[in-house]
Amino acid sequence: MTELLQFIITGLALGIVYALIALGFVVVWKSSGVANLALGQLVLISAWFTYSMLAQAQLPVWLGLPLVIIFALFLGWVIERIILRPLIAQPILSLITVTLGLGYFLQGLVGIIWPMSLAAMPPLFPKTPVRIGTAVVSQEYLWAAIISLVLFGLLTLYFRYNRMGIAMRAAADDQKAVQACGIPVTRIFSRSWMFACVLAAVGGVLISSIGNITVGLTHTGLQAFSVVILGGLDSLPGAIIAGPIIGLSETIGAGYLTPLTWPGIREVIPFIIIIIVMFARPYGLFGEERIERI
Amino acid sequence: MLRLNNIEVAYLGVIRVLHGVSLSVPEGTIVALLGANGGGKSTTLKAISGLLRVEEGEVTDGSIEWNGERIDRKSGEEIGKLGIIQALEGRHVFEHLNTEENLLVGAFNNPNRGLVKHDLEMVYDYFPRLKTLRASTAGYLSGGEQQMLVIGRAMMARPKLMMLDEPSLGLAPLMVKEIYDIIHRFNAEQKTSVLLVEQNVRIALSIAHYGYVMENGHIVLDGTVDFLKNNEDIKEFYMGLSAVGTKRSYREVKHYKRRKRWL
Repeated sequence: MTELLQFIITGLALGIVYALIALGFVVVWKSSGVANLALGQLVLISAWFTYSMLAQAQLPVWLGLPLVIIFALFLGWVIERIILRPLIAQPILSLITVTLGLGYFLQGLVGIIWPMSLAAMPPLFPKTPVRIGTAVVSQEYLWAAIISLVLFGLLTLYFRYNRMGIAMRAAADDQKAVQACGIPVTRIFSRSWMFACVLAAVGGVLISSIGNITVGLTHTGLQAFSVVILGGLDSLPGAIIAGPIIGLSETIGAGYLTPLTWPGIREVIPFIIIIIVMFARPYGLFGEERIERI
Repeated sequence: MLRLNNIEVAYLGVIRVLHGVSLSVPEGTIVALLGANGGGKSTTLKAISGLLRVEEGEVTDGSIEWNGERIDRKSGEEIGKLGIIQALEGRHVFEHLNTEENLLVGAFNNPNRGLVKHDLEMVYDYFPRLKTLRASTAGYLSGGEQQMLVIGRAMMARPKLMMLDEPSLGLAPLMVKEIYDIIHRFNAEQKTSVLLVEQNVRIALSIAHYGYVMENGHIVLDGTVDFLKNNEDIKEFYMGLSAVGTKRSYREVKHYKRRKRWL
């Protein structure tokens, strides 16, 4: 029982972080229709950058983390401006392929700049484990969940009340009409990539403070894809609900099935769930159905 | 004052759809651009609003001037900021946003929250129906309500020139009348110029001050509303009226005259 509770808590926490990274995907997809396949590599590079700031440059946390955010904003801006903007109005497949290329490029870059394949993130949160009921959970999980939830809240408010946020949602519906209102859509694309990078960076910091910094962090990107596909490509609430499902299936499935089957099952379970859900709801659990008046 | 001087427009550099169109919209007036399908009316509007470029179209000759300033090389956003706002044909509402959010998108370039609030009330005053629907998802509104929303959204941008592309398209006659009354009132009260593209000639001429008739990328006829209303060709080919009071045998109507050839 204790074991199960432990799995549930860590699964939920991990899932919420996955959902956070997945939100970055959804934001880009919704505003510009581009599938960002470089998600995992964005997580990876931001984690290593954080490591450089905090461990190598020995900056204090209050200075280092804002620098990470600024780095992520800048990265998002550069990616949109240099890689995606020249491809506007090109076939959507080239746009998606270019993000795949971007992913490999970033991964190579990480290999060059940070040749060590493993590093430990300097501790950001208190190390003493917390007791919840009978389970003992390390604090990183709880902080990860809390920080992600706060960011969800902020993003939701942004998309509901900020005029740029509303315009981003409008662009998801009808780009041409947004332009007819005199709104620069390129600014919307740029903003969405900056969001995606910041969310990936925050996710990367949280995940790597739970585990370590390795190339395995790109796997987080895959998990985020699972979240997105499960929740629906264009649904923010979908990502938030699908995240914990993926997280739970990962920890509980791994916890109980690994002894019975084989060690790699942990990575496979989310995808099995996705395939089953896809049979029933091809647009994901919460994907927007097209509104069509007849 | 908007002035088009002999503009030519080509899509993809080769397909020429406008062959030297000139027209002007004096300040505070309603100008109607009439004609059948495929005449180049919508293309003319897109050339003005700068949306042509998105569709790989280009103004290849002539000039478009807004208050003496050339705007045919400007981007859609710049033109929008000058106060030239186009409401696209076919009710392009943002389906998943609610009514009020749709209107707020229209006010994007207005950073003054107080003014936006004031404009919102103004739009609700013109379209009381939108006020009762303010929290409804726009995709589920009726066709007439969506058309109202699109016009209201254009109003939110504080336009100096509002361009409406077939606001009567696919609407019930009563709804068309209601919308046109509101456009008329808006023009009279706010002194906003309106450039109106319409196939429904009768309703367009009921509120316009001046009209142009377009066919195959040419302006073939223009004049004040009274002139157009009394023009025999307009009456016969666009309003479905023929010489009143005279009974004519079907045999007398020469079949080749049933379609007007302008050139």
